[in-house]
Amino acid sequence: MTFPLTLTTGRRPDGSALLTLAGEIDMSNAETLAGALRDNPGQVTVDLTAVEYLDSAGLAVLFANAARVELVVSDLLTPVLAVSGLADVTTVHVR
Amino acid sequence: MRVARSEGVERQPHAVDVFAADAAVGADLARVDWAATSLGEPAEWPQSLRTAVSILLSSRFSMWLAWGPDLTFFCNDAYRRDTLGRKYPWALGRPASEVWQEIWGDIGPRIDRVLSTGKATWDEGLLLFLRRSGYPEETYHTFSYSPLHDESGAVVGMLCVVSEDTERVISQRRLATLRELGSDPSVIRAEPEALAFSCRQLADNPRDLPFTLTYLFDGDETRLAGSSGISPDHPAARYTWPLGGETVVVPLDDLPGLPTGAWPEPPEQALVVPLLQQGQQPFGVLVAGLNRYRPVDDGYRGFVELVAGHIAAGISGARSYESQQRRAEELAELDRAKTAFFSNVSHEFRTPLTLIMGPLADLRARLSDDDERVREDLDVIQRNSLRLNKLVTTLLDFSRIESGRMQARYAPVELAGATAELASMFRSAVERAGLAFHVDCPPLDEAVRVDRGLWEKVVLNLLSNALKFTFDGSIGVTVRREGGRAVVTISDTGVGVPAEEMGRLFERFHRIENTRSRSNEGSGIGLALVRELVELHGGTISAESTEGEGTRFTIRLPFGSDHVPDDALTPAAATPNPYVQEALRWLPSGEGGAPIERPTAARVLVADDNADMREYVTRLLSDAGYRVDAVEDGRAALDAIRESAPDLVISDVMMPRLDGLALVAALRADARTASLPVLLLSARAGQEASIEGLQAGADDYLVKPFSAAELLARVRSSVEMTRLRTHHARWRAALIDSLQEAFFLCDADGTVIEINSAFTDILGYGQDGLPYRPVHPWWPDAETDPAGHRRVAEAFAALLDRRQGSYTIPAVHRDGHRLWINVTSNHVHDPDNGRSVTVGTFRDVTAEHHAIQRDSALASVSTHLAQATTMADALAGALADLHGIWRADSATAVLFDAPDSPSIWSTGPASTWHQLPVEQRDKLTELREHPLLTPHIGASGAGVRLDHPDGPLNLWIELGPHRPFTGADQLLLSLLAGHIAQGLLRAHQIDQQRETAIALQRAILGPSHLPEGFAVRYEPATRPLEVGGDWYETVALPGDQIGIVVGDCVGRGLKAAAVMGQLRSACRALLLQDPNPARALMALDQFAAALPDAACTTVFCGVLDPATGRLTYSSAGHPPGIVVSPDGGTHLLEGGRSLPLAVRSEIERPEEEFVLPPRSTLLVYTDGLVERRRHPLSEGIDHAAAVLQRSRDSTVDDLATRVMDGLAPAGGYDDDVALLLYRHPGPLDIAFPATAAQLPVVRGALRGWLAQCAVPSETAQSILVAAGEACANAVEHGHRDRPGATVRLRAEASVDAIRLAVTDSGQWRSPRPKDNPHRGHGTPLMRALMDEVTITPGPTGTRVDLQTRIA
Repeated sequence: MTFPLTLTTGRRPDGSALLTLAGEIDMSNAETLAGALRDNPGQVTVDLTAVEYLDSAGLAVLFANAARVELVVSDLLTPVLAVSGLADVTTVHVR
Repeated sequence: MRVARSEGVERQPHAVDVFAADAAVGADLARVDWAATSLGEPAEWPQSLRTAVSILLSSRFSMWLAWGPDLTFFCNDAYRRDTLGRKYPWALGRPASEVWQEIWGDIGPRIDRVLSTGKATWDEGLLLFLRRSGYPEETYHTFSYSPLHDESGAVVGMLCVVSEDTERVISQRRLATLRELGSDPSVIRAEPEALAFSCRQLADNPRDLPFTLTYLFDGDETRLAGSSGISPDHPAARYTWPLGGETVVVPLDDLPGLPTGAWPEPPEQALVVPLLQQGQQPFGVLVAGLNRYRPVDDGYRGFVELVAGHIAAGISGARSYESQQRRAEELAELDRAKTAFFSNVSHEFRTPLTLIMGPLADLRARLSDDDERVREDLDVIQRNSLRLNKLVTTLLDFSRIESGRMQARYAPVELAGATAELASMFRSAVERAGLAFHVDCPPLDEAVRVDRGLWEKVVLNLLSNALKFTFDGSIGVTVRREGGRAVVTISDTGVGVPAEEMGRLFERFHRIENTRSRSNEGSGIGLALVRELVELHGGTISAESTEGEGTRFTIRLPFGSDHVPDDALTPAAATPNPYVQEALRWLPSGEGGAPIERPTAARVLVADDNADMREYVTRLLSDAGYRVDAVEDGRAALDAIRESAPDLVISDVMMPRLDGLALVAALRADARTASLPVLLLSARAGQEASIEGLQAGADDYLVKPFSAAELLARVRSSVEMTRLRTHHARWRAALIDSLQEAFFLCDADGTVIEINSAFTDILGYGQDGLPYRPVHPWWPDAETDPAGHRRVAEAFAALLDRRQGSYTIPAVHRDGHRLWINVTSNHVHDPDNGRSVTVGTFRDVTAEHHAIQRDSALASVSTHLAQATTMADALAGALADLHGIWRADSATAVLFDAPDSPSIWSTGPASTWHQLPVEQRDKLTELREHPLLTPHIGASGAGVRLDHPDGPLNLWIELGPHRPFTGADQLLLSLLAGHIAQGLLRAHQIDQQRETAIALQRAILGPSHLPEGFAVRYEPATRPLEVGGDWYETVALPGDQIGIVVGDCVGRGLKAAAVMGQLRSACRALLLQDPNPARALMALDQFAAALPDAACTTVFCGVLDPATGRLTYSSAGHPPGIVVSPDGGTHLLEGGRSLPLAVRSEIERPEEEFVLPPRSTLLVYTDGLVERRRHPLSEGIDHAAAVLQRSRDSTVDDLATRVMDGLAPAGGYDDDVALLLYRHPGPLDIAFPATAAQLPVVRGALRGWLAQCAVPSETAQSILVAAGEACANAVEHGHRDRPGATVRLRAEASVDAIRLAVTDSGQWRSPRPKDNPHRGHGTPLMRALMDEVTITPGPTGTRVDLQTRIA
């Protein structure tokens, strides 16, 4: 059984890509995020507000794209982003 | 378990007949209808009773025992003989209260005390009125009651070891009265005072003499002169008592209203005893009312007679004092008459002679140093004065004869014997003179009537004459019958009488001149007197002589009585003492006319090697009324005196072996005989000889030949003096001898110089062995019993050293048996010689000593056996006790269970059979042949065989060589062996029960599956280590609910465990059927009501929803559960309470609900955990809550251990404990296949659990990520090559922390960043998110432990 991870690709008003994810990201579905980032070159805003779980598999994908992503997260994920150091290398918006 | 109850006893059949130890009493016991008693048939009796009965029957000591609810009575043969009397065999098998109904008021409370406290009692000399001889009898007993235990240790009976003291107590009491009677301090009393004194003493003994009446005869009148315990006006005082002069028992039936003395009932009989006086009618009678509670036996009669004797002596003393006063006046009158007589008859001679001899003696003393010629002249004057004096005496004889005042008393005499005896007095003198002495006097067939005194003068005169004129050759005496007459000849080979003198030989004052003689003394009157005397007897005397060859005097006396006046004839039988009669008439003091006073049986010892002389003196004294013993020499005299001292010793000086002077010296040297009067007899005349005798310490000195009168006079005065002198000594000796306690007197160096008969009774050493010098023969041997010897030596040194003291020491009887005596001593000064002596008394305390020793030993062994919780402990303790009791070298027990290596237990060094010394192995092997409980004595120790659950156990106590093992030791050993057997059996049963019960309990409670979050504990009570009826239970119920039950049955041991098992199963089934606590308990009520011993069980029953923490519960009288919240709050589950199970039927049980807060802890327990004596339950509950609080970070299993440890009392739990702990929620435990797809599922479960734990969301997220990383690692690294293998996640919450563990079964490879550069974030992330991360790789898998505190 796989927990649902939903990924919605959109565009921000400035035309940059917006990836909105809901659910949990782990090693079983991190590739989904990675694929979406590959499909959207350039600046990408990744909205993780509805993500309840993000582990090192997801973090690894985000680290790899750190230079071009901006993250939008809830309080739930901030400790993970902080302790992993990702928050230091990318822009994080907390909602 | 809450309330202790006695357990059932398993009865063991026994091969040996329980009554076999004593054939006689055993047979009577076997005849008892036991089925009708509360004990039932002997085959059904418990081992403890059998043991007790066989010890009882095999003992020589007097014992009885009582057993069971009715205290059924048993006794042994010694008790039957000493105490039970006519109650045997009726008493056997009856309740003790019926057997001893009459004294139950006395002994019942003592027995109750023994039964209720288990402590032994000791009573000494207790007065009990026994109805064993058909009447209530005054008896005294020294006894101990010891408790008897059954197999469970409960006191179910008692053993009485008893010795009867009746004789001792009563004799002491009587002796005290006699002593008081003899202790009249005033020497002289008038008769009424003497009687009043006696009556006061009698009144002090109202036990033996409830009342007394003393009557005196006053001519024909009889008057009441004194009374005790009764008014002189009482009708009994005017009763007509039999006054026949003999002791008679008079029934008192027709005398109502008599005083009772010291007793509840008045006397039934009186003893009438005459108050005897010497040789005369009694003074009167003593009427003594008798103690109805004692038999009128010889002892009682003797006592009353002695009392009467004392009273008579008092009267006699008073009267003789009065008569002495009268006599003194009469004597004065007599003196005046006597003076007149002498002045009339002999003052012509006597007065001038006296006037010569008095000044002569002075003159000789004054002029002794002067001119020798003057001295010689004076000696001549003195010799002739003496001669003249003798002449006067002889003349007086003539004067008596002529005036017809010679009062001869003619009695039939065996003349030959009498003459030979008289001649014997000359033997030594004749032999000293170097002459032969032929006495040839065969008995005559007919008696001759002679006056012994006059005949003595005849024979002595003639012999004296013969000796005087004979210088060599011989002197002969013959007696024959010739021509119808008795012919006595006295012949010599002396100088002879010239023929021309023969015709004048018998003329008065005719002396033969120029004749050579030994002495120039001689009045010339001797032969004239002899002729007068012979003629007085109707006889003739003739002489024939040849000058230079010798002289023969021939006396012829007629037989028959025609020749003497009728009135002077005395029948032989009527005057047994003719010598005395005659002799007394010849006494110079003028008492010739006084009535003969027969000396009352004074004892005289005569020592002389000459048989004739011995017989003569013996006869003389016997006839004078003395008791005479005769011996042959000084040595024999000394032995006889030490055996029993006479009043006077008469001894010859010259004797073989030990002569008279040496005898005197020996007697004077010995304190016991120093004052014994001695009269020496000697053939040596003269002052020097007598001085020698008197210097040696003789009291008097008599030169042979002497007259019978002289001897009797000397003897009489000596004896009288002695009697005066020894009166108090005799009284004292009699007292000492009648003491029940042994008495001894020691001089300063410890030599025992005086003892009494009780001393001999107790130790076997008699007066004949005195003196006993230390080391005394009754001391324990220094070689064989060094401890006993040392103990006596110390006590003895202290006894000589200190003024007063009391010691209990061992002693050895002459026959070898060992005993214990209690010695009391005192130092006193001997008034005779000023020396310090030690006076001691002692009594035999062997029985007492052993009873005390026995009681303390039994108590000690019983205590150790009762405390032992295993059979090994019990046996080790018992051996140590045996070792200590006998101060043994070792105590060893052997069980022949394996032929080659029997099991042994020993206080010695040996730990295997083969390490034991060969001798002990032999003894132990030998013991196997002996019956149970019968001690077996060896050279170096003692053994006994007893029942052991695994077969007979052989016990050996090694004492070392020469250590005595007495009868009392044997009794003690067999009693102890009985105790030990019982104790071992009990310990064995405990062992077995405990093992079975623990096995059962563990089997029931056992390692069944516990739901997550629970921990349980069961602990049996420490002492006695027994399981009880406590239990815990969790039941998995439909709907993921969990049933929780903790219960506690009444009782302990196997039985409680069995009840517990049934209740537990029932409760479980009930909950499964209907998961509702209150209804389950109500159904359990009904179940318990039908199950024996299940009533009163307390139960906590709850149903928990682990998902929500909702707990529904109901309590049947059980202590409240405790819930401790993470914030420290404590909640007691006090609702839903009702009564314990099956206490009341049909009750509606309440139910309560409580929601367990997250990470709270629930504790349900039995009261053993928290209940402590003298502390409120709430204190224990608070304590338990505090331990839960303190251990907030423990896992639930650690917590259970901490609670058990933290609440245990110092000595361990004294009750069993069951507890059940639950921490809400329970841990999460998930196993999943190692595939990535499983990870979200696992996370979902963990997220839900964390919510149950109320973990804040941020912390929960960290935990989720860290756990997720660990799981991902397991999937990725551990099982990269084996997808699908199992990974396990376990999470557990404590009060303020969460612990997780992720375990896989694979091996992580070291990360290869090249392959997947992103994977490097996992582990750092875990470390960053968690407080602690431990990764433990191992050969079978890797484990990751994570922990974080909850903020």
